[in-house]
Amino acid sequence: MSTHENQESAHAPVKRKEMSRRQFLAYTLGGASAFMAGGAVLPMIRFAVDPLLEKRSAGSFVKVVEESKVKVGEPTEFKFKIHQVDGWYVSDPEQAAWIMKDDNGKIFALSPICKHLGCTIGWNTEKNNEYVCPCHGAHYTVDGKNLSVAPAPLDEYQIKIENGFVYLGDIVPNTRV
Amino acid sequence: MAHGNNSNEKVVYVGDSRVRKRETVNSIPPDYTSFPGRSEAFIPNFLLKEWMVGCVVLVGFLVLTIAEPPPLGYPADPTNSAFIPMPDWYFLFLYQLLKYPWVSGSYVPLGVMGVPGVAFGSLLLAPFLDTGKERRFYRRPIATTLMLLSLVSCYYLTKVSWDHYQHELEITNTVPEHIEREEKAREAAASGEEPPSATKPKEDVALVDADNAGVKTIMEKAKCMTCHGTDLKGQAGAKIPSLHGVGDLLDKAQLTEIVTNGKGGMPAFKDTLSAEEIDTLTTWLAKQKAAQ
Amino acid sequence: MFKSVYNWIDERLDVTPLWRDVADHEVPEHVNPAHHFSAFVYCFGGLTFFITVIQILSGMFLTMYYVPDIINAYASVDYLQHKVPFGSIVRGMHHWGASLVIVMMFLHTLRVFFTGSYKAPREMNWVVGMLIFFIMLGLGFTGYLLPWDNKAYFATKVGIQIADSVPYIGEYIKVFLQGGDIVGATTLTRFFAIHVFFLPGALLALLAAHFLMIRKQGIAGPL
Repeated sequence: MSTHENQESAHAPVKRKEMSRRQFLAYTLGGASAFMAGGAVLPMIRFAVDPLLEKRSAGSFVKVVEESKVKVGEPTEFKFKIHQVDGWYVSDPEQAAWIMKDDNGKIFALSPICKHLGCTIGWNTEKNNEYVCPCHGAHYTVDGKNLSVAPAPLDEYQIKIENGFVYLGDIVPNTRV
Repeated sequence: MAHGNNSNEKVVYVGDSRVRKRETVNSIPPDYTSFPGRSEAFIPNFLLKEWMVGCVVLVGFLVLTIAEPPPLGYPADPTNSAFIPMPDWYFLFLYQLLKYPWVSGSYVPLGVMGVPGVAFGSLLLAPFLDTGKERRFYRRPIATTLMLLSLVSCYYLTKVSWDHYQHELEITNTVPEHIEREEKAREAAASGEEPPSATKPKEDVALVDADNAGVKTIMEKAKCMTCHGTDLKGQAGAKIPSLHGVGDLLDKAQLTEIVTNGKGGMPAFKDTLSAEEIDTLTTWLAKQKAAQ
Repeated sequence: MFKSVYNWIDERLDVTPLWRDVADHEVPEHVNPAHHFSAFVYCFGGLTFFITVIQILSGMFLTMYYVPDIINAYASVDYLQHKVPFGSIVRGMHHWGASLVIVMMFLHTLRVFFTGSYKAPREMNWVVGMLIFFIMLGLGFTGYLLPWDNKAYFATKVGIQIADSVPYIGEYIKVFLQGGDIVGATTLTRFFAIHVFFLPGALLALLAAHFLMIRKQGIAGPL
């Protein structure tokens, strides 16, 4: 080892900071491995995370029901069809909304998706004039205010009334409580 | 040249990278009888014993699979609000945990991250938390107590969750889908019919003679739409049946009976509607058959 | 005949030491149920592996009929269970085996815990074992969705919602798992890929590490 060092200093009297041959090879090998791994895997990662990067577009309003059919003080479940693109399936599935008119005559529509863990709630299933979730027993008032278990009030549909018809749009956080 | 002209010459590899053959390999397994204790060779002595246990387990397992067909409900329907979701049994303790007020509401992160995170994290890192030399469980009171407590609480949570599920089934008068499906298949088999296919999605049955003005007046008078929905498709969540295609399920006499005297949650209409009105209505309802 | 074929291969590849390494080791008395009946608790690990092998095999065969597609998934499961001879048994093996593997693994974990076998120098093997446990739970969760019946659909929705309530990154986990905004076609294919390729791949690697460490470190001594 010492003779080797002597030789090197003999050959290179000016001390230069440069990498040894072994270091160079190690770095190159590391770089090439990283490129091979990255080159192969990066397209796959982009492929897999695509749903995270997709832009969400604002939905349009859908005609649901005549204004006159909405009851005062008691919500009714109305079904309506939305246009839905699920991967390669384009469909028009039914969605539900609980619609009612409050005492001031204002119509509002609640989404039936429980804010606890996403089950579908029902109205008055325990005969106490509350929305009840069958999963973890979340309760909501008629306005969608969360009484127990759920962390937030039920979401509302954006609503538009035109020519005596109720139109529902995107789901937005509850504005009534 | 690796090969010389002489055919007896050994093949010579330059830069030999082969794995060297080990010189001494016993073809007879070593004898362990002289070791302290009664150790024995893994193959074949011990493995045979272990596979005896394996055989017993396999027989039990096969009996289970033959006796109990795996459950299968009805196809997923995102709009079905009557369905009571239930995870596999080994997730029930977590499922139940999230029902408690101190981990729900605004404390949900504590429920989904905090409690399970600490529990599973400490389980994962148990060897680094319990670093003593002692191995016997009765000499490690803290580790043993914590483990026993978690076992008891997991058992308790699972049981509460399961009991709650049974209770829900009872009050909503629901039979779990996979059981209902099995029973229908069995009934069909008993009567020699083809079992009902659950794979065909329920098609939207159009109303026959939808604009019958006379029927509309009667329906408005009886307020049918209040429960059966403005589209007469019922409310799955409240177990109110759809009237589309109702003629396939019930004949006119049965419909008249139900409208006149009520059924389940449906009130009797014999006071609200006259006999002729009921007759008009049920004639119309009996016509509601799926187009063939 | 068999012997000569074996010798022919062994001459060229020297395979004898490979399997001798696995076969020739002593098994101590304290884990042998023939000597102490209570030692049957040491069988749970082997049984877990046995059921895992059944799971892998039955899963491979199930994919001969199964289609991971929202329209056809349910129909294909219905067909393979009710129309294909022995379908109910093969699907039953995969369904009940999933539960049994959890039970066995649970018992195995408890045995290791209460005999203190995870202590030095076997800490790493415990950690690997726990990772196997989590992978198994992941397999259970992703496999539950595949038949695409109501139970599958709603339990998965709840599961994804649980992931969604993780602070800050929950939304991203949810969209990543769903492969979109709703539990639908892309969710099913994702869960299928995870259930059939990603998790089993990780499981096999961890199992190899688990066994290698057992062989290297030997069975923990008697208490």
